Amino acid sequence: MTGVEDLEIENNTSKLIEEEDNEVAYVKLISNDGFAFIINKETASISGTLKNMISDTFEEGLTNTIKLHEIDGSVLEKVVEYLYYNDKYKDCIDVPEFNVPTEMALELLVAADYLQV
Amino acid sequence: MAFRRRRREAAAGNGQQQNPDDHGVKGPSSALTSFLREQGINAEQIRLRYERTQRNTQENIIEDENKEDENKKDEENIEQNQSNNLHSTSIKLNFALDSDEEEIDDNENNNETENNLQSSTKRMKLDDSSSLNKGATIYCLECDQNFQISVYSKKSEKYGKIGYLCPSCTKIQIRRERLAKKHEIEARKRRKKIATALLDKKKFKLPSLQDFCIDIITKNINDVELLGEIGTYNKTKICRILAKNRSLNDKTVGLFLDNNTTSLEFWDCCKIDKNSLDKIAAYCPKLEYLTLNMCGQLHNDNLKYFGTKLNNLKSISLNGPFLINDESWQLFFESNVGKNLKHFHLRNTHRFNNDSLVTLLENCGQNLESLTLSRLDGLNSKPVYDLLPHFLSNLRNLEISSPHHENLIDDDMIINLLALNCETINSLNLDKCSGLTNKFLIEGLKLFGANITKLSLCDLDQIDDEGLKSVFDNWNINGGLTDVSLQRCISLTDKSVYDLLLHSSQTLVQLNLNSIKDISKTMFSNLSRNLTFPLLTYLDIGFVRSVDDSVLAILSRICPNLEILEVYGNNRCTDKALFRDNLTVIGRQTDSI
Repeated sequence: MTGVEDLEIENNTSKLIEEEDNEVAYVKLISNDGFAFIINKETASISGTLKNMISDTFEEGLTNTIKLHEIDGSVLEKVVEYLYYNDKYKDCIDVPEFNVPTEMALELLVAADYLQV
Repeated sequence: MAFRRRRREAAAGNGQQQNPDDHGVKGPSSALTSFLREQGINAEQIRLRYERTQRNTQENIIEDENKEDENKKDEENIEQNQSNNLHSTSIKLNFALDSDEEEIDDNENNNETENNLQSSTKRMKLDDSSSLNKGATIYCLECDQNFQISVYSKKSEKYGKIGYLCPSCTKIQIRRERLAKKHEIEARKRRKKIATALLDKKKFKLPSLQDFCIDIITKNINDVELLGEIGTYNKTKICRILAKNRSLNDKTVGLFLDNNTTSLEFWDCCKIDKNSLDKIAAYCPKLEYLTLNMCGQLHNDNLKYFGTKLNNLKSISLNGPFLINDESWQLFFESNVGKNLKHFHLRNTHRFNNDSLVTLLENCGQNLESLTLSRLDGLNSKPVYDLLPHFLSNLRNLEISSPHHENLIDDDMIINLLALNCETINSLNLDKCSGLTNKFLIEGLKLFGANITKLSLCDLDQIDDEGLKSVFDNWNINGGLTDVSLQRCISLTDKSVYDLLLHSSQTLVQLNLNSIKDISKTMFSNLSRNLTFPLLTYLDIGFVRSVDDSVLAILSRICPNLEILEVYGNNRCTDKALFRDNLTVIGRQTDSI
């Protein structure tokens, strides 16, 4: 359920960003195999690594584009899903379980370790 | 179809006359009532549950009767008619409620109503003699609309009057009850989760993505062939979780061994056999720090093998290696590996005897920076313990705890040891060496404990106010202690404990005063007026019976960084205590689920 909702949110935001040209509120994450995810900056800041990248005057912060060379599209999608999950439920106590596919767990752990989420 | 539609239209028309949201006005309610409502606790539900059970028993009776009456055709016809009537009302009910939120529930509802229908028709049959005049037109208690009463009309009590609700009001009432029930379930879940988190000494917070992944991995650990670059921290974490789940075995242990590893900790080696233990040395030649707990399977040959392979080993910590005999210990200490050891920690084995200790001291004594000898019942010679000061002069951390007999460790030996190591020693643990007296405090700790920051003296029943007071009186050579444990030093009271706190108030990070039963409330009042503890994060004052709600409030104020406060056994601490939100208080009776 949540996954579908999040993807919808994502689609909406990507439409928004096109309309408002490069507004600072969004950041683009590009995976190893070329998939791009445009997500809310605030949501991206849940990840310590991404936060550092966009909050400073690095290239990533200026262009609002982050290339994640070591993360595949499918894994990055899951990470983005988690970021929105975290954003949505951070103050709740009774939260639904976040679903991680078994076969992806190790890869996702490597990515999560790198991104500090 | 046409017929049904017409009926629906009529029903809808009926529903439109009434706006269901008009009746939200309520009379004044007491604080208790509103609190209960907030928590989702409702007397109505208790009543309903009672009624339901009553109804069920009634139904059972009816069903029995039904079997007898089944052949009577007339009655069946009547029943049919009645249920037809009821069907129309049920549709009416669904229409009267035109809000979106109920749409999903309607399916369930229909099932429910069908069930209800069956039971209620039966009931009606039984209640023929009841005073309730079926089909009579009465006025709704809530909205004063006139309507035909049916089995669905809800009985309600208001302003001391008892009456029935019209279909739309009934629907609203049912929805309210369902919401209240939902809230109640949620509130219960929430309380349970908070209580569970409290026992783990933390607050409930959303698990990180890494936690989710680690959870999945540990569940499927038997299918994992390689962990890959998941980071040392995550590896250690997975290793600890596996140890806790007791699933660290010959296969899974291999995941943590590679030739760049410098530090390994296996907290549960019960299921790791001799061959796999050998692999530690074979696969990790660069190993510097090794911790093996519950290593009952560690064999003499393993230790011999370690002694030939692990040339970089600096620190070894073993808990429960009871297969290793004296001869193997001696061989290990005499090997090149043994001679390089800087940290040696040993707990829970009776096979480590007097000769083993002498060999350890002779071979590594000068190098040793850390030494732990805990629960070693094979060490039973006082002269051997008395050798310690002759060999050890570089000690930073010393733990001698739970000796075989309290006479083995006496004041003079510890005083000598402290005198020789006074430059370096910063952590001292003498738990359960109950032979120690005030003399060790006054002539040892006070004079030679200049650099000590961590002090643990649990269960020393012979030390009392006189000794401890003189240590902390003008103890200027020591800059302050960070970790102190005086658990179950039952002869201590306010006077000396206050002096300790006065001396180290600015540096204390962890403090354990568990079971010092003579600490009175006066001491906490004195602390409140005179001291603050800016760094204190952990405090255990369990079984100090004078601690009550107001003491909790004082501690919350004077220890601004306190995170965990344990108050087990203090039954004057209640849920009414007022303290900071970010302070976790554990052990109150009222916290249990």
